[in-house]
Amino acid sequence: MPDLQKLYDAVLNGDQKTSVAITREALDAGTDPMVLITNYMVPAMDEVGRLFECEDYFVPELLLSARAMKGSLELIRPLLAARGDEPVGRVVIGTVKGDLHDIGKNLVGSMLEGGGFEVIDLGADVSAERFIEAVQTKNANIVCLSALLTVTMPSMRTTIEAMKAAGVRDKVKIMVGGAPVTSQFAEEIGADGYSDNASSAVALARRLRAEATA
Amino acid sequence: MNGKERILARLRGESTDSLPLMPITMMYAGDLIGQPYRAYATDYRVLAEGQLRTAERFDFDYVSAISDPAREASDLGAAVEWFDNQPPAIIESRALIADKATLDTLALPDPESPGRMQDRVQAVRLLAERAGTDKIVQGWVEGPCAMASDLRGLNTLMFDLSDDPAFVEALFDYAVRMEVNFAKAQVAMGATLIGVGDAAASLVGPRLYNQYVQPFEKRLISEIQALGVLVELHICGNTRRIVKGMGETGADIIDLDFLTPLSEARAAMTPHQVLLGNIDPVRALRDGTPESVEAALAECYAQAGPAYIVGAGCEIPRGTPQRM
Repeated sequence: MPDLQKLYDAVLNGDQKTSVAITREALDAGTDPMVLITNYMVPAMDEVGRLFECEDYFVPELLLSARAMKGSLELIRPLLAARGDEPVGRVVIGTVKGDLHDIGKNLVGSMLEGGGFEVIDLGADVSAERFIEAVQTKNANIVCLSALLTVTMPSMRTTIEAMKAAGVRDKVKIMVGGAPVTSQFAEEIGADGYSDNASSAVALARRLRAEATA
Repeated sequence: MNGKERILARLRGESTDSLPLMPITMMYAGDLIGQPYRAYATDYRVLAEGQLRTAERFDFDYVSAISDPAREASDLGAAVEWFDNQPPAIIESRALIADKATLDTLALPDPESPGRMQDRVQAVRLLAERAGTDKIVQGWVEGPCAMASDLRGLNTLMFDLSDDPAFVEALFDYAVRMEVNFAKAQVAMGATLIGVGDAAASLVGPRLYNQYVQPFEKRLISEIQALGVLVELHICGNTRRIVKGMGETGADIIDLDFLTPLSEARAAMTPHQVLLGNIDPVRALRDGTPESVEAALAECYAQAGPAYIVGAGCEIPRGTPQRM
């Protein structure tokens, strides 16, 4: 049995090679895959989020940690799916129509994945129709809309309006974020939550899930 | 004092009759003259008209050829998404240097050959002809980190900084050589100030910034200054942890986004370093009132001290009310 603290350290330090090796070793030794996620990977990504928020970690460090975590998750996911384990929640995420700037969306998606959510990443420049289709086909609980430009912020409103018209708005909680987005704007367009950074987006998603399942 | 005299006096540390005004306008200037942004970014005559009319309307002390980050990348053949009425964007999923080996095959683009770089050079020429006596004419180039991310993809570049720093340095070196050429062509047409935009630098944190990015910014700035013009360094985003390094690049003007308090920049730099910024473009300007703008400006001045030029954290957003 490998020293699982090394999995925590590898994710925290962005060492994908080690995180994958330890994960493989642990799974081969019969460790419950959910234990690896809950006891080591989620706490490591929580710490990454904390370091990011207090500006000890920056975008490169966060992306490296996310890459290490994803390497391990690739080994773990099929095992969880095979035994029917459900994630904390299913998130559909993308930058809204007209916006190709995706690094903020990628940071949030990675942190949510690190928080135990299944993340369905629709990429950049995503139409309202694609968000709606993903909600309908992926059994999502949360939709995250990202925009970096003031000129693409109106696409957030039109996406939410289109979701209402398609009858899927009330099936999900909607989170919005991006440099020019404000909590006031989020409220105006009828979103359920706003976060100004990737780390607090995880706390927001957890709260929205808790509210929905209460 | 005309605008040019006002800015130059500020940069020499002399007193001015009023605070110099250098807010960035792009989509705002296009809207002001009723032109879609695609026309503004592709036809230098439209850009110049927008800049001249905006500067006249609001009594700005400068005009600028800034428009979007995709000019150099377009000329190199990068995939770019065009929109009718917003800036073009580089398609990262089809990055030009997706394969690192491509870097060795890239020649430096010629800013005098037909293309988007030449269009900016022509914009500078027209602005200098029409306003060069009275106003500062600003040319624009991408900084090393921004240009590298335009060519390699921002997400990939963030990994490269750890996975292959030697490649990153080669890419930054290429960017600097390209941008010095681009600046040279704009200076030849009458630019009196070159803006260097390096937004991606705000993402990397102080360790990587100081080790890899700042030395190349410093080299770019010094080589442009050697052409006999002034340089402004503009980095969007939160630069609080790298602001000291920014101040050590040697740029004549340090232009800061609203996320970095001017008081922190001032504490990290000499009292003489000219700071530009950093009114919150959305909250204080677009969504603000004349009173809130005045209050924000007073706060900027209080924090920056006399070596200060008025601007917003980034471009004046489209839709900002015109009340005077």
